Amino acid sequence: MRSRRAAQLSQRQAALLLLVPFLATYALFLVYPFFRGVWISMHDWNLLAVAFNPDAKEFVGLRNYERVMWGEDIEWGLAAPLWQGLGLIGLALAAVLHRRSRVSRFNAIALGVVSLLLVVLPGFHPGEVGRWYDRRFWPTVGNTVLFVGLTVPGVTISALLLAAGMNRETRAMGILRTLFFLSQVLSVTVVTLIWQIMFSPRQGLIANITEVAGGTPINWLTDQQFAMAAIVIATVWWSLGIAMILFLAGLQDISSEIYEAAALDNARGPRAFWFITLPNLRRTITLVVVLQIILHFQVFGQSHLMTQGGPNDTTQVLVRYIYQTGFRDSELGRASAMAVFLFVIMGGFSVVQFIIGREKDE
Amino acid sequence: MRHVLLTAAAAATFASAAPAQEVTLARFFGACEDAGTDTTTSVGEACIIQSIINAASAEIDGVTVNTLPTDWGNYYDQIKAAFAGGTPPDVFVMHAHTIPEFASLGALADLSGDLEAAGIDTSDWAPLALDGVTYEGGIYGVPMDFHANLFHVNLDLMAEADLVNDDGSPILPTSPDELLAHAEQFKAATGKNYLAADFAQFPIGVRLVVSMLWQQGSNIFDAEGNAQVDTTETRAAINSIVQLFENDLADPRLNYADSQQAFLNGEAGILVNGTWVVDFYDSEAADPDVPLTNYYVADFPVLFEESATWAGSHGWAIPASLKQDDPETYEAALRVIAFIQEHNLDWARTGHMSVLQSVLESDDYNALPHRDEYAATATMAADLPPTEHFSAIQDILNRELQAIWLTGKSVDNALSDAQIDIQDVLDS
Repeated sequence: MRSRRAAQLSQRQAALLLLVPFLATYALFLVYPFFRGVWISMHDWNLLAVAFNPDAKEFVGLRNYERVMWGEDIEWGLAAPLWQGLGLIGLALAAVLHRRSRVSRFNAIALGVVSLLLVVLPGFHPGEVGRWYDRRFWPTVGNTVLFVGLTVPGVTISALLLAAGMNRETRAMGILRTLFFLSQVLSVTVVTLIWQIMFSPRQGLIANITEVAGGTPINWLTDQQFAMAAIVIATVWWSLGIAMILFLAGLQDISSEIYEAAALDNARGPRAFWFITLPNLRRTITLVVVLQIILHFQVFGQSHLMTQGGPNDTTQVLVRYIYQTGFRDSELGRASAMAVFLFVIMGGFSVVQFIIGREKDE
Repeated sequence: MRHVLLTAAAAATFASAAPAQEVTLARFFGACEDAGTDTTTSVGEACIIQSIINAASAEIDGVTVNTLPTDWGNYYDQIKAAFAGGTPPDVFVMHAHTIPEFASLGALADLSGDLEAAGIDTSDWAPLALDGVTYEGGIYGVPMDFHANLFHVNLDLMAEADLVNDDGSPILPTSPDELLAHAEQFKAATGKNYLAADFAQFPIGVRLVVSMLWQQGSNIFDAEGNAQVDTTETRAAINSIVQLFENDLADPRLNYADSQQAFLNGEAGILVNGTWVVDFYDSEAADPDVPLTNYYVADFPVLFEESATWAGSHGWAIPASLKQDDPETYEAALRVIAFIQEHNLDWARTGHMSVLQSVLESDDYNALPHRDEYAATATMAADLPPTEHFSAIQDILNRELQAIWLTGKSVDNALSDAQIDIQDVLDS
């Protein structure tokens, strides 16, 4: 009886049936909250007021987005010559490289888009009588981009070097691999606690070493010049593990025969790393970089727990701003508008990852 | 044997199934693992309040109190999320300045008609404490203390700098110029910083500046909701502090833990911190391993014309939904609050000032360590005008003040930015 009923299900039906639990969970916990978030972002929505009176919200269309991202009398011009100049150089480079077929079409377009954004975005500024409605939003976005810009290369390069160094089947290397991966399993609270102690100018390890070397300890977490560096260092230490494992997996995919052949051509050590390892790891590196970008745009705990966004907002990041706007200020509508903005950024990088993933398969 | 065990297990099940009313309680003040139920010997805010709560759970018939895990820094966010999710704690501690925000939305139960039946006598409350928990005629909380900024003084270092009176009290400044002169005299004599405080993260700097604003008869905003930050009074208040940093007489980059450690290590003459650490510093000073030995507590000095210092008040509140939907738990929650209020003297041991006239006048209260040294603080206590945006305003000020002394932002820019941001918040 049972087998007959099973036989009645077509392969398509069986697939659907098996997919239902996932789809239902996905729809309930991801798709629905996402669209609800977008819907909330179009309302003047006080977290507590709406909890007590569902009618206390008011539809305001895109006003929250305007309130967060725009201002009065905003003009466009050469407001940030350095960034905009870099963008122009990038645009020219993309065109030249593409014409000479030095880079793939995709890379040329990616470079072009990033450069164009660099030219356009920093150009907006308030005119003489104008102001941003929210003067903290764009600097916060800038801090988040800076954090990502420092952390991703930091994690990628150090994980790559560690993986290359430990890609040997000895007991010592096994122990070292485990040790380096251990930090990854800690929660953000533990990581930030460890690093707050490390950075403490009074009892921290770093301060002690500085003093032994005859220097004056740095107030890492409250000094404008070092606060961002401090949370980047803690984050690199924390996120090394998974990147290292991915690189190790990539390294073990490279056939030893290639190295042997290279050795015959006198390519050993750093030369082998540069000419053999790196080109063969290209796909893994791209994967690690894109994953890290998406991950670190969502940085919250390190800034919230170690520096509280300070000093003077230098380590204020987007998710922390969303959190404060939503919970401290109860402005859920505005917080959701920022969250949608963050989604668009991360969505953009996900598309990049998707395209690169497809390129690989071809 | 097995039979005996089973019977015991059954008995235990029955015992625990007795009709004990569970009251969930949320609080800040930090964690204390083994607080016990002895309310008279615990030390520090966390352990004193937890011992009182444990005692309430043990001593009130038919009521057990379950203290929820909460975190200091995110406490109000957790409370808001709990309200938004429809599961607020049955009893929770609040600062008086947050009551308008919650009460205006109907989140809090109006306790005014029920306090007497629960054995809570509002006529015993200090008038300022009653004001703090009153919103549009209703009483939305039961006050537990006044807390204020104090000068915690290392008398040995002050004596070295010749800044001690004949009666043993420290000589404190009476004007911004004198503050600078004392600090310079102190540094010359001891080589150490005159003043320490968490100017880098915790809003101690904000509290100093607003205290000095009130001392000049000014404020951050008026009762009509107009920001008035960018004023000569604010500049005078800020300059009083900045002059210490500019002359290397205080370090703005110390956070809470580091500034406290600097004071306990005898590296600074005065620490600006609240009433909540008096018993802790007192016990530390008694420890022979701690360099601080001669500890004194002074009122925040009056540096301008009027007498005023930043102060706040903690109190206990109950959600409106509990009063409406669950009268039994509501009654149990009130009994827990009444119990906590009965132990107001124990709570005052932290260093906080009592809100009960009967306690304030008692010999036991006045015999608490250092109490006579900062008696005037009770009459100096002041707070910002009631606002639903207290936290946001405090954060803006904290950010801009820190920008001045940590990142060199000009006072003009910081104040004009703060003026715009605070007005935006008040208008929203």
